[in-house]
Amino acid sequence: MSVAVEVRGAAKTFPASPAPVHAFGPLDLDVAAGSFVAIVGPSGCGKSTLLLMIAGLLDGSAGEIRVGGRPVRGPLTEIGIVFQSHVLVDWRDVLGNVLLQADLRGIPRAALEPRARELLRSVGLDGFATRRPYELSGGMQQRTAFCRALVHDPPLVLMDEPLGALDAMTREQLRSDLERLWMRTGKTVILVTHGIEEAVQLADRVVVISPRPGRIVREIEVPLPRPRTLEVCEQAEFHALVGEIRRLFASYGVV
Amino acid sequence: MAWSERLRRRAPGLLWAPGFLVLWEAIVRLLEVPLYIVPPPSAVLWQLWRNLPRIAHYTLVTGGETLGGFLIAVAAGVPLALAVAFSPFLRQTFYPAAVTLEMVPKIAFAPLFVTWFGFGYLPKLIIVFLVCFFPILLNGILAFSSLPLELRRLCASTGATALRMFWHVRLPAALPQLFVGFKGAAVNATVGATIAEWIGGDAGLGYYIQIATGDLRMDLAFAIIMVLALLGLALFGAVALVERLLLPWHVSQRLPPTTA
Repeated sequence: MSVAVEVRGAAKTFPASPAPVHAFGPLDLDVAAGSFVAIVGPSGCGKSTLLLMIAGLLDGSAGEIRVGGRPVRGPLTEIGIVFQSHVLVDWRDVLGNVLLQADLRGIPRAALEPRARELLRSVGLDGFATRRPYELSGGMQQRTAFCRALVHDPPLVLMDEPLGALDAMTREQLRSDLERLWMRTGKTVILVTHGIEEAVQLADRVVVISPRPGRIVREIEVPLPRPRTLEVCEQAEFHALVGEIRRLFASYGVV
Repeated sequence: MAWSERLRRRAPGLLWAPGFLVLWEAIVRLLEVPLYIVPPPSAVLWQLWRNLPRIAHYTLVTGGETLGGFLIAVAAGVPLALAVAFSPFLRQTFYPAAVTLEMVPKIAFAPLFVTWFGFGYLPKLIIVFLVCFFPILLNGILAFSSLPLELRRLCASTGATALRMFWHVRLPAALPQLFVGFKGAAVNATVGATIAEWIGGDAGLGYYIQIATGDLRMDLAFAIIMVLALLGLALFGAVALVERLLLPWHVSQRLPPTTA
């Protein structure tokens, strides 16, 4: 399988007073095309910064990042992004928000609308296409944001704490939605999270980052079968992986 | 909702004004307050009726100045706000100059404008423009520079051109705050026009009120004040109506009205 994302010696230091803040790195990371990789680490370890650097939305201080074999210089456009907040706009309805991708990219709406409607249907929002974001629950808002990140069929999807702002029960529902979307579309996904169970449930591989300055302390393959149903997540192997990561963080004094 | 229920809910809003007028009339008559101090509402309405042609004509004059100055301020203020929001150079040069100008009472310029431009339409238009311009500029700068970072990043990841991003994201996102400025300007506009006419005019409601008070004709003065209030309400109401039509999605428009 080809490599979709290569990170080589990437590091980030923020200028600050009295001393610059060394956020993370240098670190190396490979993400195989079509795989689901979760980056898990404590608050402030630089994982979101790394994601923004991969997206080309933030310059690194050192190292190189290549996506699809090309070095990242400036914002990538062949990607989908999901943030912790849904970032839906109130002046468009649900379908209009998904089709914001078409309008901003200068693609005729008609070209993306069938796919937008299909995506909305797949996350149970087909009856809500003409609703405004403020009429939806938090989970529905974030599902709309997932559809917006996928509607233009990008090969790479970057997610920064996409479930972080939701309540526990909605988070569980959206995890299975996310997995289903990923299994259907076969994208390369990089998910940044501080949820250990979320990372193990969703990812093929979990990359564990240390507290600041963030470094990769372990990469853990998750060989559990898919879809990762409730039964799968009750298996001893699931708990063993979660426990392994939790002990790692405990050794850094995080949990 | 049944219409009787609706009427019952609106009753306070519909009844307070007539009630207030009746009370006013009664007090003035009972205490035998002289006409040149406080006239009763009946006398005010009578004066309004008697001088209607002249008042109507002057309403058009003052209304024209108000609307004209307001619209020019919108047309100039919004693009300038956009320019200041995105240009560090203008932020350091034009913006402090505009703030300094705002600190000067605009009315102080009125006698100057009379000297330069005479008693006609132009000096009033400039005064109205000046009192409208700053709230529009200030709120416009805020409107165009408060797009959330994550939304900006999302737009960047689509490779959107500046124009597409402006049209689909920046402009609609800025509208609610822009309207805060428009409404503030609408409130200022009639005040500016009236005072400008007062200081140096040969027509308009501000000019007429000066004549009426000079003759101690308080009943006529109150009639003109009433028309000025209606004029101000009309402009403010028009702006609020456009806002309602353009921004049905905004939080402020979603709330059920608490009064009226």
